[in-house]
This record gives sequence, structure tokens and C-alpha cells, in this order.
Amino acid sequence: MRINYFVAGGFVVLIFLVIIFVTTVLPASTFRPVPTPAAHQYTPKELAGRNIYRREGCFYCHTQFVRYQDRGGGEMVLAGDYMFETPHLLGTERTGPDLSNIGGKYADEWHKAHHRNPRKMKPGSIMPSFSYLSDKEMDELVAYLQTLGAGRKLPGWVAPPQEMRDEYDAIKSHVNVNSSAAANAGRGIFMQNCAACHGIRGLGNGPISLTMEKKPANFTRPFYKNYSDAMWYWRVKEGVPGTRMPRWGQSLGKEQMLYLVAFLKTLPQDSQPAGAEIHSIEQVDDPFALDTNFKTIDNMMKTSGNPYGTSRNLGESR
Amino acid sequence: MERILSAIFSREPYSASRNFLITAIFWLVLGTSVGLLASMQFDTPDALSGIAQLSFGRLRPVHINGVLIGWLSMGYAACMFYIIPVLAGRKGLWSELLGNWTMVLWNLAMVAGVLTLLNGDTEAREYAELAGTIHIGGASIQILDWAVLVVLLLLGVNAWMTVMTGTEKKWYVSIWYFLGALFWFPIVYIIGNRAFVHLDGLNDAITGWFYGHNILGMWFTVGGIGIMYYLIPKFTGNPLYSHTLSMIGFWTIGMFYAPTGTHHILQSPVPEWLKSVAVISSIFLLVPVLTVLTNFFMTLKGKWSTAADHVPLRFAISGGIAYLLTCIQGPFQATRSVNWYIHFTNWVVGHAHLALLATFSFFVFAASYYIIPRVTGRKMYSKRLAVWHFWLTLYGWIIMVVDLVIAGLVQSAGWHHGIPVDQWVIELVPYWWIRSFSGVLIVLGQILYMFNVYKTVFSPRQCEELPHSPTGIIYV
Repeated sequence: MRINYFVAGGFVVLIFLVIIFVTTVLPASTFRPVPTPAAHQYTPKELAGRNIYRREGCFYCHTQFVRYQDRGGGEMVLAGDYMFETPHLLGTERTGPDLSNIGGKYADEWHKAHHRNPRKMKPGSIMPSFSYLSDKEMDELVAYLQTLGAGRKLPGWVAPPQEMRDEYDAIKSHVNVNSSAAANAGRGIFMQNCAACHGIRGLGNGPISLTMEKKPANFTRPFYKNYSDAMWYWRVKEGVPGTRMPRWGQSLGKEQMLYLVAFLKTLPQDSQPAGAEIHSIEQVDDPFALDTNFKTIDNMMKTSGNPYGTSRNLGESR
Repeated sequence: MERILSAIFSREPYSASRNFLITAIFWLVLGTSVGLLASMQFDTPDALSGIAQLSFGRLRPVHINGVLIGWLSMGYAACMFYIIPVLAGRKGLWSELLGNWTMVLWNLAMVAGVLTLLNGDTEAREYAELAGTIHIGGASIQILDWAVLVVLLLLGVNAWMTVMTGTEKKWYVSIWYFLGALFWFPIVYIIGNRAFVHLDGLNDAITGWFYGHNILGMWFTVGGIGIMYYLIPKFTGNPLYSHTLSMIGFWTIGMFYAPTGTHHILQSPVPEWLKSVAVISSIFLLVPVLTVLTNFFMTLKGKWSTAADHVPLRFAISGGIAYLLTCIQGPFQATRSVNWYIHFTNWVVGHAHLALLATFSFFVFAASYYIIPRVTGRKMYSKRLAVWHFWLTLYGWIIMVVDLVIAGLVQSAGWHHGIPVDQWVIELVPYWWIRSFSGVLIVLGQILYMFNVYKTVFSPRQCEELPHSPTGIIYV
């Protein structure tokens, strides 16, 4: 009878070894992602910061991977990003924000103040205070945080893929996107579908934007001068990955999207960051009063292209 | 002092079981209190700020390792050291002295573990935080990992030799489960705490979660079920419903539990085939779970009403029902479509408490009320305290789990609508307070339990002859 136990025991061992092989040895030997630009080789100072991050248990509340369902989480992570991350700090539970793209988002001094007294920088936060870290440790920790996702930032804007350009070329004859008639038609569609987030003036300050981690685009930024018609069409149709921008191709018709493109092109794209010219802004008593320099609406349109006044009155750009 | 030393290094039958249980209860009270303290930091984040040792990131590993390695694992050792000799037909272990040394070493490792974790010496892998890093020359060695491994091996050797030298030649199903757990867990532990193989990023995560799930699957589940297979027939006086079902459960646990770890990182860029293996085997876990529970509940047939007056049976039944809930929740959570929503939220924290507190701790509570009179020769000090322990702990976990499930859904809605964290975190304030309240109930229950057990153990002995294979006597 005893021998049967040994046969059965042998099976226990065998099955378990096979499972260990499949779930740990096999991935370790076949899963060899190529390091991406986001894979960061840490300097000794950053490594010391990473060890502080581990020691203080930051990874219990902060995760380090953007999932495909995380709207506003920033750029997606790739397998090769983690080549130098041992031990891994993926995390299991997110009480605080995901930190995969935190690098470069805030200044070093902001991080230090936030670690000393989190409630001061973010009211309502429940992060513990790390005021007990020495200045050197705080420097190291912040140096580590600033590396996170630094290599994941895109070098410039993205061009639309070839199939999208082909699609645009095939339908662009349907609507003249440079005509004011098309822009007027697009304006109605914008007010109904887009203004809730992007704001009625396209400043990215619609009421829903308050609740968004990743703020909606401000179309008055000079950045949008770079947008080709096909690019506008692509973004409207397919949405923007990593944000809450919907894929309007699912609900709007092709002509409607072309009308939108026509309208978006008419928005002023010359606003400057507020900091650059903050001193030259004049005091305005009533922001809604029409500027008296403009006698007629036609004259006004000729000067600024915007019936509400000059672009610097549009408020702070994002 | 001499009496204490002779009680610790005793060769008396069942003394190792008794000593393990007494010390495990200390770690239970410590672990749950630290958990309560950590949960209070969610309510009042600035109350203890500025003290490094009491910040949340340091308390959480102490809570986890205190209750998992300290309380539950030592509680399992206590149960095994009583049940295995009885089932093998021996009076006491192969070597009680070795068992007691294991107990001493384990407690020393835990003391060192709590102190090092509080001072920031951690391995930073979930469930494997114990480190105790020392530097010799250029190499750093994590001695606490090795200490836990050594005590597990000593436990295994003692259990194995007890079974081999026993007079009973037919193995009852509990022995299968215990020896399986004692074989599997050291292997899982050494893979999870490896310091000798360097794995890059995501491979480290894959292996880390192989360990993280199998400490539950191959140790807590297998050990807990082994205990219940012994206790339920004892409590009810019914024979085990089906030996075949119990063996199907044993083999399928071995088959389906081990590959499930990757379901913890389903949305990360690890290989898709590994995720599929994990999800499919997680769903197949319903097979061992349902066979085991069918067996439990069919063995209880006709005896459910006795639970009204029989506190250990009450613990056992509520543990079994919590096991059913856990293991329906588990495969459901592991599917991609559900995991998509609840991943990274407090729902999962609730699930962990459902498994480890509501199920496996309840199994050990049931076993301890049964074992303590039999290993000490004393009646339990108070039945009323045991009843209070039951209700406080039961309501504690129910409130905690329901609360965390709701909090998890709120949290997940925040993530999925892209709402900034500092806005939705305000919504969770009431849930943090309710969780701390449930923690107070649980800690209170465990203090009553500790008082009850210590009062029993340090009272005069009531019966000289310890029972060899006791049946039918109900002390509580």
C-alpha cells in the first residue's frame, strides 16, 4: 500500500514542477522585450531615490503602469519600459495617482513641498506627510520621481497615419473646409457635441473639464497651427488616446466631421502662454463690453478674426 | 522563569502545538492592531505625521506579515502539530523538542521582522516584505527569508516523520493536504523571495505574483481545508461525506491554483498567453472549491442546528460560507471583463480580508477552541467570551468587506471617468471611517480571544491525562 503513496506523491511533485516551469521559467526565458526609450538606467542618486520609494512603501498606493482603460493617464506603457525596474514597482492598489508619467509634470520644489505637507498642495489628499525625510533623501526621491516617464514623452506632434490621410483625401471634395458656410455648419455641431468639454470658445474650459484629470485641448494654442486638415479630421474621428476625447466617427457622419474641421480651423490659434505677456495686459472693467475701438462687427472681424474681442482677452491659455 | 522555560522547551506531547497557538494569538492581536492603526491614517492623515516608523507605508507590511506569517501560518503549524499526530496514531510529534525549537525560531524571526519592517528594511514585494538585510562583504543577504524557509522545512520534516513513524497506515485526507502544503509552500517561498536570480522588470512581476497568489493557494487554502476536513467530522460526529470528492479537490487545487498569479497584473504588458493561462485556471478553481464545499456541507447534513450551541462549529460554518463567497468572487474578479473595472481598487482589499480573515482565520479560530482544551487539559475559561469573539469578528468583517466593496466601486468610477484623485478621494472619507470602525470591532474581538485563551492556559490543570484520540467531548 505504501508504494501507492509514493506514486501519487511523485505525481504531486511532477505536476507542480511543470506548473512552475510554465508560469515562471518559461516567461523568464521567452519573454525578452527590447528596451524602449522610456526604459531608464538610473544614476546612483536616482537609484537611492528609488530605494527610498520602496522603503517608504509608496508602491502600496501609487501604481506605475497606465492601463488601456485609464483615461487621462498619459502615454501607454510598453513591456520594454520596465527593463531596468527590478524589483518591479507596478503596484496593486491605487489610492493615489498613477506615477508612470509623473516626471516633468511638477517642479522639484513643488514635489518637496508636497511631500512635506501634502494637504497644503492638494487639499483633500490623504497622503502621509514625509517630513521626516532628510533634505538629501528628499532630493534623491524627487530626482527619482522626475525620471518616471521622462523617456515616454513624444518628441513632437503625431502625424496622421497613411490610411487616415487616404481616407481624408477620398472625401475632402464633399465639403470645402475653408468656406465660412462649412464653418458655420460646424459651429452648431461644435456647440452641441464639443463645447461641454472644450468650452464655447474652444479654450478647453467647458464645465465638464473641471472633473478631468487630463484637461481638454485648448484650440487657441499656437500648437494647433501645425495641424493639417487630415490631422484635425483624424483627431475628431478617432479621438485622442490617453484622454477622454471620444471617437466621433462612431456617432457623427463624415460630412459632419468635415464641417467640424472647418469650424476648428477658424478658431484663433495665436494665444500665448499667460506668463509671457502678463505685464502688458490692460485692466479691463467689463470683460463683456465691446471694445470701443471697433465700430462695426466687420471691422472687428477684420482685426482679430474673433467676434468677442482680441485674443488676449480670451483669458488664460492652458 | 524556570517554569516558563520548561514549558517552552518541553518534550511533553502536544506542547509544541500549545506553544505555537499561544504565540500565534499574540501576533494576531499585534497584526490586527497595526492594521487598525494603518486604517486610521486614512481618516486623519496628519495625526501621526513626522514619525517614520508609524507612517502608512511602514505599517502596512507589518500588518500583512504579522497576520500572515505570524498569526495564520503559526496557527496552521499549531493545528498541524495537533491533528497530524492524532491522525497518524501517535502520542505527540516525532520530536516535540524540535517542534518547540521551530516555534522559538519562528517567533524570533517575527520579532526581528516587525522591527526591521518598521525601520524600513523591506524587500518591497507584496507578501514577501520580510527581509532582515545584512551586508557581508559586498553581498547583502536577507536572513529573515532564510529563517522562514528554515522553519518551514523544520515543520515539514517533523510532520513527515510523525506520519512515517505513526501506527496508522492509511492516510486520512487531512494528512494529504498538510503534507502537500508543507511540500509546496517552501518551494513557492524560495521562488518568491529569490535573491539569487536577477529578473528584469516584468519578469520580476510575473514571478512575484506567482508567489503572491500561491502563498494563498498552496499554503493558506490547502492548510485551511486540511484543518476543516479533520474538524467537521469531529464536530458533527458524521463521517466524511465523500473521500473521492476530497481527493478530487486536492489534485485540482494542485493543478489549477499554481498558475493563477498573473491575474493580478492583467492590464500590464506581460505576455497575453500567460494572462490567458491565469484567467482560465482561475475560473477552473471553481472545481476544487465546489468539491470541497460540497463535502463540507454534506458532512454537516442533519447537524446544522447544533451550531446554535457549539461555538467552534459556528466558526467553522461561517468560515465555510465565507470561503464560498471568496471563491465565487475570486474567479469572477479574475475574468478580464470584471478585472477591467475593479483592478487597483479597495474592492480587492476587501476580497483579501474575506479570504484571510473571514475564511482561514475563522478555520483556525474553530480549530483553536477545539484544540486548546485537548492540548492543555483545561476547559475553556469562558464560553460567553468566545461567543463575543465570534460576533465581533463576524460583524467586523462583514462591515469591512461590504464597505470596501462600495468604496472600491466609487474609486473605480473615479479612475474610469478620468476624475482627478484629489476630487474623488473626498468621496471616500465616510468609507475610511466605517472601515476603521469595523477594525475596532475586529481588534476588540481578538483581544477578548487572547484574554480567554491566556486565562485558560494559565489556570490550574483540570485533567491529567491528555486524550490520545478524543471524540465527542465538547468543551466550549
